[in-house]
Amino acid sequence: MNLSPLVKEFMEKGRSESCPVIDMHAHLGPFQGIYFPNPWPEDMIRTMDRCGVRMAVSSSHAALIDTRENIKMADIVRKYPERFRAYWVINPNYPERTQTEIAQFSKTEGFVGFKFLSDYHKYPLDDPRYEPALKYAEEHKSLILMHTWGKSPYDPPALVEKLAVQYPSTVFLMGHSGYGEWEKAIQVARDHPNVYLELTAAYAVNAVIDWMVKEAGSHKIVFGTDLPWFDPHYGIGCVLFSRITDKDRHMILHRNAERLMSLTISRTAFQ
Amino acid sequence: MKLFDCNASLGAAMVRPIRFAEDAEGLLEEMDYYGITEALVYHSRQYDDSPVVGNEILLDEIDGFDRLHGTFAILPLQTGELGSLEAILEKMKAKSIRAFWAFPAEHKYLMTRTALASLYDLMVEGNIPLFISVNESCGGISGWYLVEKILSDAPDLTLVVTEHGSWGHDRFFRPLIEKYENLYIDTSRYELDGGISDFCAKYSAERLLFGTGFPRWNPGGPILTLVQADITAHEREMIASGNLERILGRVRL
Repeated sequence: MNLSPLVKEFMEKGRSESCPVIDMHAHLGPFQGIYFPNPWPEDMIRTMDRCGVRMAVSSSHAALIDTRENIKMADIVRKYPERFRAYWVINPNYPERTQTEIAQFSKTEGFVGFKFLSDYHKYPLDDPRYEPALKYAEEHKSLILMHTWGKSPYDPPALVEKLAVQYPSTVFLMGHSGYGEWEKAIQVARDHPNVYLELTAAYAVNAVIDWMVKEAGSHKIVFGTDLPWFDPHYGIGCVLFSRITDKDRHMILHRNAERLMSLTISRTAFQ
Repeated sequence: MKLFDCNASLGAAMVRPIRFAEDAEGLLEEMDYYGITEALVYHSRQYDDSPVVGNEILLDEIDGFDRLHGTFAILPLQTGELGSLEAILEKMKAKSIRAFWAFPAEHKYLMTRTALASLYDLMVEGNIPLFISVNESCGGISGWYLVEKILSDAPDLTLVVTEHGSWGHDRFFRPLIEKYENLYIDTSRYELDGGISDFCAKYSAERLLFGTGFPRWNPGGPILTLVQADITAHEREMIASGNLERILGRVRL
């Protein structure tokens, strides 16, 4: 077993001072179909400390269901400005709310972008109901984290590609990396400068990270865990034991996220 | 810490994984990369092909490799494909096979006492563990309902359920853990934040076995999760290797 310095540090200490992980795909609070031992912000911070995760960018589970819950994430970010940022969930089932919510988003500190959950909300990514948020994101060069899944009728990598062309200034994070449709997801991230692969759940598939790094480059991959769903050590372990360099691991685990977050620094006034 | 992987396979599968080990030497190279000392293994042909063929391929493939411990895939004995119970036992004794796998969806049989009574009795009598993925199904039932069906037919069976997945299965398996004392869960996909420590605090570490699910799943995840889990060193050692060694050590052929 020939461990790189970074892998050795995580194996021995569970964290690394030189590699402060940023989780670009997190949530918060209990949820319908799963038991969470650690669902609340203080629980999550304990986990983050144990695993060397400096910051989590979260959409609350409650907001995935009812977008009127979005605003509560501002309180979490205000309370823990060094540990949390937030996504504002757009739910196309309630289009009458969207313009008001975008206005609310635009004047609320702590939010770095939007979250789309098309597989659950049952509208495809290119549905007109998403247009107000997409136009706002394009104008302000915002991030959008989208749940994506291979062969889905709502959010497959091909639909991300369509939006990436249509909205070239928006930064699209393909949540779960279009799980299962790896070749297409990797191609979309490789060919479009504004598209990134996000690793939540995808990291568990053996050698898929090696493939992503080889074809799309480690500069196009960000780390996420769905926290409080998955132990960050699980995903970090998958990145660490992939056949890639320590430089690649740093890019994936924090440097790309740092770069992307700086794009939205004017919106995150707690920096 | 010694890692003894309870859930690994080798061979070129019908559907090619992104990365895999074609033979025993290849699997040992993978295990060395991850720091895994020993593994309980099956061959992809035991799943993709008939166990009649696959079990023999597995025996040939791992012959002489002391770090790899073989398993047999089962079929109902009524068709006679695997021979008599006595013949199976003789071969297991001769080749030091101390565990079974069931792949009922691919091999198309029912996991009922009607179909498997003599095998279940053999397993219970000899403390021989049976491994099954929670993704298996047969006869219209699947997942944890299938697991409960197996255990209700053979309550004393040592059953190891693998790859329970990332979407939160504790609500499914904790009631079964409480009812069936020989039910074990592998850690290949126990990704839940705080899951291992929470489980150990309630049920002890005895019921968890370290597994990777190689080549489908990335072994790095379960390794770092276990190494850094908020449990005692003794509990970690039990999950990493001690529990599987204890289970295999009590097998009587």
